[in-house]
Amino acid sequence: MTAQEVRLCGLLLREHFGEVVEKVGTHLLKGGAQNLRTIIHETGISLDLVKKSLCVLVQHGACVFRSGRKGAGSPTEYQTCCDRILRILRYPRYIYTAKTLYGDTGELIIEELLQRGHMTMSGTIKTVADRLTQNMEEGRSMDYSEVSSAFFRLVETHFLQRCPPLAGAEPKDSATPAAPAPPGTPAAPVSTAPPTPESFPDCYKVPHVTLVGRGKRQLASEDGEDQRNAKKAKMDSQTHGDEGICWQVNFERFHLHFRDQAIISAVANKLDQTSSEIVRTMLRMSEVTTSPTATCTKPLSANEIFRSLPTSYNIPRPILDQYLTLLIDDPMEFVGKAGESGGGMYVVNMHRALANLARATLESVVQERFGSRSARIFRLLLRKRHLEQKQVEDFAMIPAKEAKDMLYTLLSQNLVQLQEIPKTPDYAPSRTFYLYTVNQLPTARMLLQNCYKTVANLVERRLFESKESKRLLEKSQRIEAILASLQASGAEPEQLTEVEEMITAPEKQQLEALRLHINKLDSAENQVDETIFLLESYINSTASTS
Amino acid sequence: MAGRGGGRGRRMMTFSVEAVGITRGDSLPPSIQQPTPLFPVMEQKPLPLTAGEEEEYLLALKQEFRGAMKSLPCFIQPTAAHRDVERYSDKYHSSEQTEALTDWTPDWKRLPKELRVKKPPRGGVSAAVSRSDKLQSGQKKKKVKEKEEVLLKLETLQKKEEGQSSEDEEEEGEEKKKKQEEEEAEGEEEYDEEEFEEETDYVMSYFDNGEEFGGDSDDNMDEAIY
Repeated sequence: MTAQEVRLCGLLLREHFGEVVEKVGTHLLKGGAQNLRTIIHETGISLDLVKKSLCVLVQHGACVFRSGRKGAGSPTEYQTCCDRILRILRYPRYIYTAKTLYGDTGELIIEELLQRGHMTMSGTIKTVADRLTQNMEEGRSMDYSEVSSAFFRLVETHFLQRCPPLAGAEPKDSATPAAPAPPGTPAAPVSTAPPTPESFPDCYKVPHVTLVGRGKRQLASEDGEDQRNAKKAKMDSQTHGDEGICWQVNFERFHLHFRDQAIISAVANKLDQTSSEIVRTMLRMSEVTTSPTATCTKPLSANEIFRSLPTSYNIPRPILDQYLTLLIDDPMEFVGKAGESGGGMYVVNMHRALANLARATLESVVQERFGSRSARIFRLLLRKRHLEQKQVEDFAMIPAKEAKDMLYTLLSQNLVQLQEIPKTPDYAPSRTFYLYTVNQLPTARMLLQNCYKTVANLVERRLFESKESKRLLEKSQRIEAILASLQASGAEPEQLTEVEEMITAPEKQQLEALRLHINKLDSAENQVDETIFLLESYINSTASTS
Repeated sequence: MAGRGGGRGRRMMTFSVEAVGITRGDSLPPSIQQPTPLFPVMEQKPLPLTAGEEEEYLLALKQEFRGAMKSLPCFIQPTAAHRDVERYSDKYHSSEQTEALTDWTPDWKRLPKELRVKKPPRGGVSAAVSRSDKLQSGQKKKKVKEKEEVLLKLETLQKKEEGQSSEDEEEEGEEKKKKQEEEEAEGEEEYDEEEFEEETDYVMSYFDNGEEFGGDSDDNMDEAIY
């Protein structure tokens, strides 16, 4: 947990959950596992607020609790991990992906679950149906069954998963009497590491839920409201047979999807559309057979690939073979050959693809900050590993003086390291080789921390800009509210223009400029997050192989 | 050690200068005497952000999500956010916010028992009896948290006549002792106080029951009456 990560987590918590949760959360991040009394004592916040904040953090999966380490009877300890909080940056991307894959219904399901942390299936379906009904025309409403089917599909493809039942601390059964009881959730002894949701066999099992009805629209009419209130009370008190089974969004599955997308778009950029379609087919076929941390997919024969290609791409068999050969020969090594049976066995090299994508990111960072000649030196060092000063100048074909300058700039920014190789055991300077080198993994880590710092700076700047213009923003909000109420009650255009003129022209300009700045800062956060995702995936992939 | 320093040692460095490429006669960059500037001049301007339909949609999603989170019960604020100028309508707005906060009941089975927050009793109170009941139960709730001296003080205060002055003192005492009130309790106590005060429109000390009215004017007849 580096200082940059903690700072960014604090800002994200403040924006989404308020300042109290921010204080409690950053305290937990900096201090490790603590019990309730320690937190209250050290943060100085009142007991009830701390309790509420912890409830919020646990609800959203940011905090885990377990019984104390000093044995039975010691107070429960709470621990926060910054990974989960940093995911908040990526929420818009998750919601957008759900929209592209499963339409508006899927989008709203994911959005509701992200907002609430975790919810039961019936609760989610009802809320989403109500929201969809709001946006439909008069007289139409969304049926629960449609939302249910979207929910099933999300669970089938593992985008949603059940929250793991709690083990240790207090023995609980997450299943209610009505639900078909999953075969005994193991009452595990207190384990040191929190169990992953996937370690439970019923992770993706959808309970049998009786949920019949349609979404409700909030109407302004009186009579309809009374009836609906009566009906709503009856509906809400019904149990739907799945209390206690909470669902949460499976971030890892989304990350796999993003990774696949990154590989496919890289192939499309480097080669052409057809090759990317071939790689997309290969990835789709190996979705279920490949584990998330695998180095490469299971080998697929060329015949299988040929049969599974989408029908719109009717390329003849020999052309497919040529494309596959091209993909193998490409220096990026996205696809590798694993054998000759079945017309050739091919794999997609996940880890190597991620490493290459990370390398491309590093190179482009150097290029944009220091110029294309420095980037040439950087790429040279990545390729050739260790080079002396003289060799750098020769290979890069850059005059000595400028090459020196650029090398020293890169060295001072820590993108290039100096490696000493002594000829004699006493490390005498005149008898030592000094070689320049680039290590990809540590450099990637350093850039990742820079990215966190960047996003934290963007968020702070955005908060600062909003705070500066707080009065103006409030005034404009009030005027919008007045306008809306006037329009709803049907006012003449003169009244509306009169109210609109309460904001003067320079104020309007100021508001416009403010809106532009805030949009830019927000958009920049989203885009830095894409880089963060690539670098994080690369670093995680090396961690799992090493 | 003895040979360092002085003119001869000016250009000594820990590594061999030839190997790294600094030849004699090259001018080294001036040594840095102070921290680098906070916003150094950029030689290369950064690339513009990618702008497209997808990016705009992502931006809209992000801003909507943030706005939605602010209105959810998960968003905890210690006290109602103060606007730049106190407005009359704040009195009515604060009660709306507190209601949203208590609507959320998490699934207590998934949380440790110690995090359970007991909801304080609510409900309109206008009679002195129900108010004293509320204060009693409020005191029971606060007993758990506060120290014993405060406890004793509260009990002695409660035994006094339940007039307006004692209640005001109690409330002031409670407010002094605690660092941060629960917003519901605070909102309700303030509301009750104001409601009680609203029953009589005039501050008590200004009340003149007219006994002295005739007396003064009779005594000084030589003063002109305006």
